Amino acid sequence: MNNQNEARDVLLDLKNIKKYYPIQAGIFRKTVGHVKAVDDVSLYVKKGETLGLVGESGCGKTTLGKCIVRLHRPTSGELRYKFGNKYRNLLSLNKKESLDARKKIQMVFQDPYSSLNPVKNIFTAFDEPLKIHGWSNADERKDRIAELLESVNLRADYMYRYPNEFSGGQRQRICIARAMCVNPELIVCDEPVSALDVSIQAQVLNLMKDLQKELGLTYVFIAHDLSVVEYMSDRIAVMYLGKVVELASAKRLYYHFEHPYTEALLSAIPIPKIGGEKRQRIVLEGDVPSPANPPAGCRFHTRCHKSMDICKTQAPTFRPLKNDPDHMVACHLADTADA
Amino acid sequence: MATALVTKQKRIKKSSLAKRNLQKLLNNKLAVLGLFIVVTMILLCIAAPLLTPYDPGKISLFERDSAPGGEHIFGTDKLGRDVFARILYGGRISILIGLSGALGGMILGVVIGSLCGFFGGILDAIFVKVAELVSIVPQLLLVLILSTIIGPGVPNLIYVFIFTGWVATFRLVRGRFFSLREESFVEACRAFGIGSLSIAFKHILPNCLGPVAVQLTLNTAGFILQEAALSFLGLGVPTGVPTWGNIMNAAKEIITITESPWLWIPTGVAIALFVLGVNFFGDGLRDVLDPSQL
Amino acid sequence: MLKYFVSRMLMLIPMILIISFIVFIGLEFAPADPLTAMISPDQMSSMTLEDMEAMRESLGLNAPMLVRYGRWLVNLLKGDMGFSIVTGTPITNIISNLLPSTIKLTFAALLVSTFMGLLFGILSAIKSNSAIDYISSVLGVIGISMPEFFIGILALLAFAIRLRWFPAQGRTDVGLGAFGSIKYLVLPACSLGLVLAAALMRYTRNAMLDVLNKDYVKTARAKGLPEWKVYYKHAFRNSLMPISVLICLRLPMLIGGSVVIEQVFGYAGIGSRLLTAINAGDYQLVLVIVLLLSIVSLLASVFIDLLTALLDPRVRLGGDIGGAK
Ligand SMILES: Nc1ncnc2c1ncn2[C@@H]1O[C@H](COP(=O)(O)OP(=O)(O)OP(=O)(O)O)[C@@H](O)[C@H]1O
Ligand SMILES: [Mg+2]
Repeated sequence: MNNQNEARDVLLDLKNIKKYYPIQAGIFRKTVGHVKAVDDVSLYVKKGETLGLVGESGCGKTTLGKCIVRLHRPTSGELRYKFGNKYRNLLSLNKKESLDARKKIQMVFQDPYSSLNPVKNIFTAFDEPLKIHGWSNADERKDRIAELLESVNLRADYMYRYPNEFSGGQRQRICIARAMCVNPELIVCDEPVSALDVSIQAQVLNLMKDLQKELGLTYVFIAHDLSVVEYMSDRIAVMYLGKVVELASAKRLYYHFEHPYTEALLSAIPIPKIGGEKRQRIVLEGDVPSPANPPAGCRFHTRCHKSMDICKTQAPTFRPLKNDPDHMVACHLADTADA
Repeated sequence: MATALVTKQKRIKKSSLAKRNLQKLLNNKLAVLGLFIVVTMILLCIAAPLLTPYDPGKISLFERDSAPGGEHIFGTDKLGRDVFARILYGGRISILIGLSGALGGMILGVVIGSLCGFFGGILDAIFVKVAELVSIVPQLLLVLILSTIIGPGVPNLIYVFIFTGWVATFRLVRGRFFSLREESFVEACRAFGIGSLSIAFKHILPNCLGPVAVQLTLNTAGFILQEAALSFLGLGVPTGVPTWGNIMNAAKEIITITESPWLWIPTGVAIALFVLGVNFFGDGLRDVLDPSQL
Repeated sequence: MLKYFVSRMLMLIPMILIISFIVFIGLEFAPADPLTAMISPDQMSSMTLEDMEAMRESLGLNAPMLVRYGRWLVNLLKGDMGFSIVTGTPITNIISNLLPSTIKLTFAALLVSTFMGLLFGILSAIKSNSAIDYISSVLGVIGISMPEFFIGILALLAFAIRLRWFPAQGRTDVGLGAFGSIKYLVLPACSLGLVLAAALMRYTRNAMLDVLNKDYVKTARAKGLPEWKVYYKHAFRNSLMPISVLICLRLPMLIGGSVVIEQVFGYAGIGSRLLTAINAGDYQLVLVIVLLLSIVSLLASVFIDLLTALLDPRVRLGGDIGGAK
């Protein structure tokens, strides 16, 4: 197993990650059920790549992202991360190792407006993490902060300003710089541009790409917008109701999707016509079922335009395609088609 | 190069948030007026020995109940004590009780509120109930029960005020914590491995301090009024100690109300003026710190 | 709705238990022999020391505290509140004579202040930055800055002693008809209500202004709804919740204030009786009154809560109300 990871140069390997939120009710806060926000997800992230994560609102993208940076503790599963040349489970580290791991994995959040503490200036927002992670010299820290701000195309003297003096785009760039201040290897970007104006989205995305190239960063890039993900990612995982339903390289997924859900998502974005074939627009009907009480069988069958009898009773397993082992799908149709 | 630039900028911009708020506060006429009233009155009380030659406790049976004018600006009381001196020296104690009760209550409320708001759970549930209980029993009665248990006296009254005064601050801080702890900047802190207590007190708490300061002014005003009411009834500070409430105590009798108004009108005005100043200042503070304008 | 009502009522029980327990502890600490408060003075005078010791045993005064607390509570519920140590009258009699006039006073003050507070608060919100807004703002701050008893004394001096519109000393309203007793009520109720009215006015103004700036009010206006309807249906209804929360928070202060005001006007209520009892060291009476007044304030705030709930469609329809707490 490890050998396989070595061969693929895997940085982070998620194994059967589950995150259930208890639903509590009544005066005694009895647990009456669980929101299965992430339900048995297995993925790996290769060093230096960008893994895109797409899905509708509420499908568990943020939850999965927060499990990776350990803001949430998964209900079960393993997070294996490559330290030097050894893989360690992030969920069973001791205190010191844990702090070290926090330096390696950082996150950029969805809402740039709540990501910065309104009463602390930028300098303070950067200074404390630096201090914790071993920058003991105050002058060095200040130089580092200036350097970071400049690397996201902001002026160094902005560091004494307060968050309310910045625009959304500037804030998000500051957040990116903050995430990078401890020299992380992996950054989970949770819809970093969805709160921004379309005109500045491209600017921020390009900045992120440049930084990645320059510093050899690995990204887990979350979005609900397939075109943004497609632009950013090397590989894309499509999530539906807490499960990954399809995973393939970005290029392949775009034309050789297998899962009807991916098809529906893709059909919603306008694409330049190549080869003359016009893609049919598929409108997903009905609401996303509640993650507290997901449908039996394939979770997508209630809204699937290709649903069959077997889908209602039997959940498809997440398996590689015959002709392309790097392309994985959880759909009865896909497996049978290739079988 | 960047560093040179930064060092230069540092001096100019370092405390801009506090400075800007202070500037706004100073532009608010009512707040400045309030501050002026409060500070002036506190200074007058502190400087009492310079302003009046009389000892507030010295009984002088020859000058009983004399009307204002002449040697005694506000006249003398039934025991011949100088009313002006009593108001000045009494102000010291009344203000001390109000301020320290409010400050103590604030500290208690901030600490408990932060911990409950940040960690939630059983601790939180317990304190919410306790707060509800403390706030539902009329404060005056609570003070009565407590002073039967611990006895009268200035420090005891302060303890009682602290015990009853933390609730408002607690509610406020707890509520702000509940909403702030979900903010992404808190998660960013956690992602860096910053400890829980540090997040609660160094990162979230500063966001609550505006409303806490406003609450502090409200409590100060409230406690000064309560001390006055309690001592007026003869239940607060022992009668020997001059406080604004104790001076007003004389006005329990109709004869004093009609015949010796100098005994109670100046004192009542002093209380109202001080509390008015505190309230003006608090109102101004609230306007300045309005989070929508932050 | 019913569920909300019942749960609100059920929550009262532990509250009352805890308050009574605290009061009981106060009683334990009081420097008085509990025996004197439990039997009538006539009986007491004919007893020797041994008799008293036997009596103590038989009354269970030597039992553990919790047991005595339980017994005390049961007695209270049965209406047996013991005897005043000083006058020897059964406390039940004192209470039943005086509590109604205090409740009348506080209720009147509550009405006066709610009416004035809401009226001027709404007016100054609707006509914000006008003369009426300005004047009521200034009066409002002054109102919350004056000690209640100072307002009371000034009112007493002006309207009762100088102008003679009202009696100066409302010693009693027992035996007077509803109309006759009203003149004793006006000054105390107004002085007591003034502070709350000022606080309420300031609060109502802010709450209304807050709501008036909300998008849904702007939408309602844009749709061409008549102004009064905008004010009533949208602005007032939606500010009601925070306003009622304020009233509930202030209610204990009102009841505490009634003690002071009764003293100023010599109004014969439970408050002035409380003060006499304190000065005489009549602890049993003091603590029973404290307990009763606390319960009154508790009940009143639940009552206001329910009243607001009735007016608030979200609650009436059985929804969840997060804002109420
Ligand atoms: N702290 C929580 N407690 C209970 N349920 C939660 C919690 N956080 C998220 N959920 C639920 O888990 C599910 C997944 O939420 P998540 O935030 O991960 O979705 P998302 O894919 O990031 O959506 P979006 O695109 O809107 O950000 C949702 O149904 C949400 O209601
Ligand atoms: Mg999300």
